[in-house]
Amino acid sequence: MAARKSERIMNLAICLLMASRFLPKREIREAIEQYREIASDQSFDKMFERDKEELRQLGVPVLTGSNDVWHPEDIGYRISREDYELAPIDFDAAELAVLGIASQVWDTATQADQAKTALAKLRAAGAEPDPGRLAALTPSIGGKEEAFAPMWQAVLRRIPVEFGYHGKQRRLQPWVITHRLGAWYVYGFDLDAGEPRIYRLTRVESQVRFVGEPGSFPPQVVDSAELAARIEPAKPDAQAILAIRDHRAPVLRRRSEPVAAQAPAGFSAHRVEYASLGDFVGEVCAQGPDVIVLDPPELRQRVIDHLRRFAEAL
Amino acid sequence: MTSNAQVSRLLALVPYLRQAGAADLAKTAEQFSVSQDQLIKDLNVLWFCGLPQGLPDDLIEVDQDALEQGEIRLSNADFLSRPMRFTPDEAMSLLVALEAVAELADPGSAAAVCSAVGKLSKAQGQSVQVIATAFAGSADIRESLLAAIARKSVVRLTYDAQATSTTSFPEVEPVKLITRDGFAYLQAWSLERAAWRTYRLDRIAAVADTGRDAEERGAPERFDSGWLESRPAAVEVEIEVSPQARWIAEYYPVRSVERSEQGWVVRLLVADPRWLNGLLLRLGDQVLRVSPQAALTAARQIALDTLAGYEVG
Repeated sequence: MAARKSERIMNLAICLLMASRFLPKREIREAIEQYREIASDQSFDKMFERDKEELRQLGVPVLTGSNDVWHPEDIGYRISREDYELAPIDFDAAELAVLGIASQVWDTATQADQAKTALAKLRAAGAEPDPGRLAALTPSIGGKEEAFAPMWQAVLRRIPVEFGYHGKQRRLQPWVITHRLGAWYVYGFDLDAGEPRIYRLTRVESQVRFVGEPGSFPPQVVDSAELAARIEPAKPDAQAILAIRDHRAPVLRRRSEPVAAQAPAGFSAHRVEYASLGDFVGEVCAQGPDVIVLDPPELRQRVIDHLRRFAEAL
Repeated sequence: MTSNAQVSRLLALVPYLRQAGAADLAKTAEQFSVSQDQLIKDLNVLWFCGLPQGLPDDLIEVDQDALEQGEIRLSNADFLSRPMRFTPDEAMSLLVALEAVAELADPGSAAAVCSAVGKLSKAQGQSVQVIATAFAGSADIRESLLAAIARKSVVRLTYDAQATSTTSFPEVEPVKLITRDGFAYLQAWSLERAAWRTYRLDRIAAVADTGRDAEERGAPERFDSGWLESRPAAVEVEIEVSPQARWIAEYYPVRSVERSEQGWVVRLLVADPRWLNGLLLRLGDQVLRVSPQAALTAARQIALDTLAGYEVG
């Protein structure tokens, strides 16, 4: 049954694609065998409307219009080849290599299929994606988060959403879904805050609910630099002098420079830049007795307090 | 299989087969992510598709003899010479995948991602969004490693191990760059351990060529989301933390995370107890309970040792 239907819709697509003018329904019915076989006008009308709608759902631009300016009510249908076809693309070897990897990136079956179909279309257009030397790269992204699938659809179809986050309900027009090293973010207009906000999908606490119709808000061009800045960790804005035990704590040592300050025996003094809004106290404490804060005094005190609370609280 | 998905596939399949001339059945099925049986069903639909009127010459033809030999030859399909544009879902899935490639690739390939996206937008007839991505570890390191993989050579890493808090200089044969659970890794054969190992890219401070060739080691072991499970020494630890420390569940591969009365209970696999010490010291009083309790006692002792350093200094 499904095969018969596919056949009919394919023939409708080909018929409308070949039309050089708007084809009235009556002509379409005569041209396509599976429509000719239907006796009742009503059944044909119903079937044709459904088929046409299915083509549109697939993204096929089925246009409605009239060939006759004097009789605009005599409507017909056609597919504009210009809007339908993927224009020719000429990729160079480096671009074909990155495209060749892209088909293997998705862990999530739904998106993996979508990306593969996109690449099949490129092959149909004559391109030959080939990983080449990049075959050693295996980036992998998945959408394990519960919020991922509904949020992806919401962005795609421009549907406002509501979800719980840090104990509060948020209403958002989701503009973009993006990831950084596998962590997903949604960025959009927060209807309660009245400004753009970014949310991390793993922190979404409730089900994502659609609270509007598809296409509820216009497509939004997002400033990618601004978005990247919202995702990036805070920039360093402070300096500390640390005593680092010899040959230890290489990660901190690597981003520091030696300074001439008094340090305990077996230690040397280093200057390190850090972001005051980040978790520098935690980072220092994680090093245990290999790192001692010498300066500034406030940071030193915060580290001592952090360690004391941990050692004594339990 | 809905007819919707089938029509969508057929609209791409026809120009693909036209372009290919003669296409291998198995390879075509793979590229369209369908079984060979399904692909043959697709081809059977095409037999009845073609120009209006449906005269025999108007219909698409599939060479049956060639098909029996596992080859697809299609004719009479000039009216579907080009594929349809990407649907929004296809475009978004492809672009996000390309961003992930850019994150891990050398700078040249990252530039190729940008130019490829530009060309895709142009062909699509509308601008598609691409997000500038931050890179995993330094670009030089990634470039040296990709070059070593291509040359199949042994390299000496300068590796800052977090757990042991020391720098080591392992000699390895690199094979792959990987992202998992929010971090990028190098997968390589460790000569010292005589085993496959993974190294966090942002902890590799330098890569030096040894001038020696790598040996053939066969396929590396799978490094999927459950990779830690296969570590023989890994033990499960349960940590209850206050609500602010929920982030650890998204930062590290965890087995489970559940709400508790006071916050969250996170169960994770720990391969090296020194790594756990670092995590507990970092969290401080956000740690409410640890099982086994001995892990917490050890970390508290380290906190006391550290405080002793401050009293002296």
